Amino acid sequence: MKQEISALMDGELFDDDAEAILDKLKRNPDKHDEWRTYHLISDVLRQSDHVHANISIGIRERLQAEPTVIAPHSRVSHNVRWFALSAVASVMAFTLVAWLSIQIGPETAPQIAMLQSNALHSASLPANGLDDYLIAHQEFSPSSNMYGMTSYVHTVARHQEDKQP
Amino acid sequence: MKARFVLIVVLFFAVAPAFADTGRQVDLDWLQIIAFATHQTDYSGTFVYQHNDHMETARITHISDQNGEHEKLENLEGPRREYIRNNNEILWYLGDHKAVQVERQYSGKSFPALLPEQLSALNENYLIHTAEQARIAGFDTQAIVFQPKDTLRYTHKMWAHRDSGLLLKAVVLDERRQVVEQYTFIQLKIGGDIERTQEITGQFTTTLQQQSHFATPPETSTQTATNDWKVVAVPSGFKKIMEIRRPLPGKKTDVIHFVFSDGLAGISVFIETLGNHFNRKLGLSSRGAIHVYSKEKGDYLVTVVGEVPPRTVMQVADSVRYRGQ
Repeated sequence: MKQEISALMDGELFDDDAEAILDKLKRNPDKHDEWRTYHLISDVLRQSDHVHANISIGIRERLQAEPTVIAPHSRVSHNVRWFALSAVASVMAFTLVAWLSIQIGPETAPQIAMLQSNALHSASLPANGLDDYLIAHQEFSPSSNMYGMTSYVHTVARHQEDKQP
Repeated sequence: MKARFVLIVVLFFAVAPAFADTGRQVDLDWLQIIAFATHQTDYSGTFVYQHNDHMETARITHISDQNGEHEKLENLEGPRREYIRNNNEILWYLGDHKAVQVERQYSGKSFPALLPEQLSALNENYLIHTAEQARIAGFDTQAIVFQPKDTLRYTHKMWAHRDSGLLLKAVVLDERRQVVEQYTFIQLKIGGDIERTQEITGQFTTTLQQQSHFATPPETSTQTATNDWKVVAVPSGFKKIMEIRRPLPGKKTDVIHFVFSDGLAGISVFIETLGNHFNRKLGLSSRGAIHVYSKEKGDYLVTVVGEVPPRTVMQVADSVRYRGQ
């Protein structure tokens, strides 16, 4: 059947045979797909501008079947390793600094201790929810050029935290 | 006779556009004057801030001297919240001394003057015209209206002091001409002796309970790492003015921060890993005319902040894409 359709489309059949095949096609709706496929193949082969194919349905179905990956996975294990490495480095650095401070004398030690406590504080500083984003935003927003510091009233003013408008 | 008539006609067409231009130039000059006054004038006053059904008062002091700019803003009601700036160093008291936070500004913005790009952006996105003259807090003012050309941004109306250019009142209106927020000075002192407290002139860093220093990151780290992310549907007229990878208080990892500007309003886009946020509520929040919209995107949290209507921040948040996805 397939070869016959192909031959028919290429104009290689006699009129009688062609009519017989067309009759067959009319009677068997399930052969219609073959008919369409062969036309599509010939269209593509001849690189005609207009390809008779409804491929969008197929693509949509396959897209729906696929899992959606919107954003990459964060590299947690990577981070943990880096954290471990940097922790080790910090401990080593601290040991070295402590050893140096003993070697150099007591005057320099307090400064180093202060730096250490500073770093600790910044890590334990609580997040302020919306405020942190607002503060970061306001520094760059062009509105502060015109409004100056009054634009910071959004952060200074009392608000019900994260209320819905 | 005929020649004279032609001359008059020609002169009319030559001169009329010139006058139209000067009118526009006057409006733009006002913007420069306002921006200059905001940052170069000494003043101290109390203003009322209104948004939704709330009203509260705040006090502001601004000094500009040979050491630069010093300013202080504090609310006068409820738990103490304060903001003090000495040039690039910012000190925050947020709520009854619990958290004191010291930051260094990233922009290193030194004022004054609006950049030519900002002026032309303003001109493209807003119809700017002067309106009525009014008396506010005892001063004569000139009103200036910024009418947006679409509904993706708010209308701004400002009243500037006719002598100094200081803003004495400002209103933000939505598309139905409803007031979104406004502030008005009720008492103001311009120039002369402004009271200088210790903290406003810079000797404040000694008694802090908690503090965090964010050193300005080196230039090289800002541009390279962020180009994996794109904001696809930025409203027309908004241009990207900054892209940076930066720390935020309480976050374990750095946050990607984009800033877009239309000359008057800004939109910030923050992108961070989900592990960074603890019970942050997703969805829409607001602070007066500033709207915030947060949503999860894969393993990341996208937060958009801007002085624009809610649907604008939502549109921007929905259009954040990772590498062309």
